Amino acid sequence: MLGNQVALIRRELWEHRSLYVVPAVLGIIVVLIQMTVQTAVSVFDTHIDMALLGATNIGPNERGAIISALLSGFSIVFVIVMLVLIGFYTLDSLYAERKDKSILFWRSMPVTDTETVLSKLLTALFVIPVITLAAIAATHILILFVTSVWVGMRGASAWHLIWSAAPLFDTWSATSIFVVALTLWMSPFVAWFLLVSAYTNRSPLLMAILPLIVLPLLEKILLKSTILADALMSKSAVHMPIFKNVDLETLVNKETLTIAAENGISLLSMLDVGRFVSSPSLWLGLVVCGLLTTAAMYVRRFRDEN
Amino acid sequence: MSSVVIAQHVSKAFGSTKAVDDVSFSIEGGRITGLIGPNGAGKTTLLKAVLGLTDCEGTLSVLGLDPFRQRKELMQNICFIADVAVLPRWIRVSQLLDFVEAVHPNFSRKKAEDLLQQTKVSAGAKVRQLSKGMVTQLHLSIITAIDAKLLILDEPTLGLDIIFRKEFYSNLLNDYFDGERTIVITTHQVEEIENLLTDVMFINDGKIVLDASMESLPEQFVELMTSGESVEEARKLGPFHEREVFGKNVLTFDGISREKLSSFGEVRTPGIADLFVAKIKGAA
Repeated sequence: MLGNQVALIRRELWEHRSLYVVPAVLGIIVVLIQMTVQTAVSVFDTHIDMALLGATNIGPNERGAIISALLSGFSIVFVIVMLVLIGFYTLDSLYAERKDKSILFWRSMPVTDTETVLSKLLTALFVIPVITLAAIAATHILILFVTSVWVGMRGASAWHLIWSAAPLFDTWSATSIFVVALTLWMSPFVAWFLLVSAYTNRSPLLMAILPLIVLPLLEKILLKSTILADALMSKSAVHMPIFKNVDLETLVNKETLTIAAENGISLLSMLDVGRFVSSPSLWLGLVVCGLLTTAAMYVRRFRDEN
Repeated sequence: MSSVVIAQHVSKAFGSTKAVDDVSFSIEGGRITGLIGPNGAGKTTLLKAVLGLTDCEGTLSVLGLDPFRQRKELMQNICFIADVAVLPRWIRVSQLLDFVEAVHPNFSRKKAEDLLQQTKVSAGAKVRQLSKGMVTQLHLSIITAIDAKLLILDEPTLGLDIIFRKEFYSNLLNDYFDGERTIVITTHQVEEIENLLTDVMFINDGKIVLDASMESLPEQFVELMTSGESVEEARKLGPFHEREVFGKNVLTFDGISREKLSSFGEVRTPGIADLFVAKIKGAA
């Protein structure tokens, strides 16, 4: 069972090379942009001391906070791309094999439909996030490395200004928790996409999105209620109950509009894992994910291509 | 050798059409059975049921297993080539071998690589870069390297040229078939496989119209070529099919002795293709 899963997931990565090529290319683009900005800043660098990351006129805690905020800004781009990748991957995963008839070959192997669909769910909910996190970490290190070179060329100590100040452990831990929480939170949509992919005969994207718009609309018109719409909206990423109620005033100095981070900022301390794990909406979502995945397994098993 | 496939009253309907209609048969181990029928006769549906790819009514036992409910166990001992197009086009040959090696307990990678050495298929190539004939060679090499008890071929040589078709069957006999393995094969090109079959099954409109061993055919079926008055006389013996060839009448009989018929004209054993047409048309 486990050996098969490894082989099946490896197979997914062979077929969907975009799952690692896209994050890698994105990382390269982000680093190139950062290098360009840094070079551009250096041209005007008379007043901006060492530019943002290498600023010596602020304390290490504030510098750490700025680095963390900047790195997290890049992370968000990766996370958005991850969601897009998961969406397109799941829609394709059980559709393409029927389209090119290779399903007949896959099903001639001693692998159950349950194992196959499970491998696709695991790829979406586990492998893609892990690749994304690895790409985020690699990009962060590259960015800090480029900045170090930049700072070093100006005769300052990169270790002192950047590496010792950058709260990498805090940033990466918080990002990992956020990404894991996000994929679990969105898992019912992932399973829904898998089911559509297993079922539909044409345009999986349309078939997946359309019911999510049309059904709440019909409910509103016919039943004058908004239960479906509310349920869907409550599962959007912005409603994910992972953040503590952070008072913005503690982060931003209102008078100077600068980051108030003399004591540093911990991203980790802004997350509330307890609140997330105890959210009924999370568990309900996981149950729905389980049901829809089971349905996808059944469709793959019982569907006849005649 | 015991029965590899036992079907009892197997049916499969799609809506109101019965693709397979109350079929019972058994296939013995070590045989090469040709399943022959016109388009839409139910061949593929029947094979799919045997492979556990589709559910059906009735009782079906393959290698002692229920194919639909025990597909994973079954697939360790069954191989099939459904059509030349089913290998995923994006995969590399080496990846394909990696995958089969990882999931199939009875696969010998070395044997597959040895067989591929004899072809032009290179390990680094992607399936989409290979010609149709090479894809089939690749598929057959993989399947030959799997120590399976039953091989099912559904139109395996469809769309291949004559060279590849001949090669396919000669490889099948030389590399795969060892007298213990069992093969079930469907094809439209009946003449090409006629001499490698040990058994033949005709299927039409979801029903089996003939299930016989090749050795028994000459005893059972006789074709009489005659003309003139003898035709009327011969017709009294109840041929199940009649056609005209070059102004002569060819009558096909079931269970009438050669000696009896030879007095009317020239007798011979019908070829599978002729017998097939006679059986299908005769029934219509």
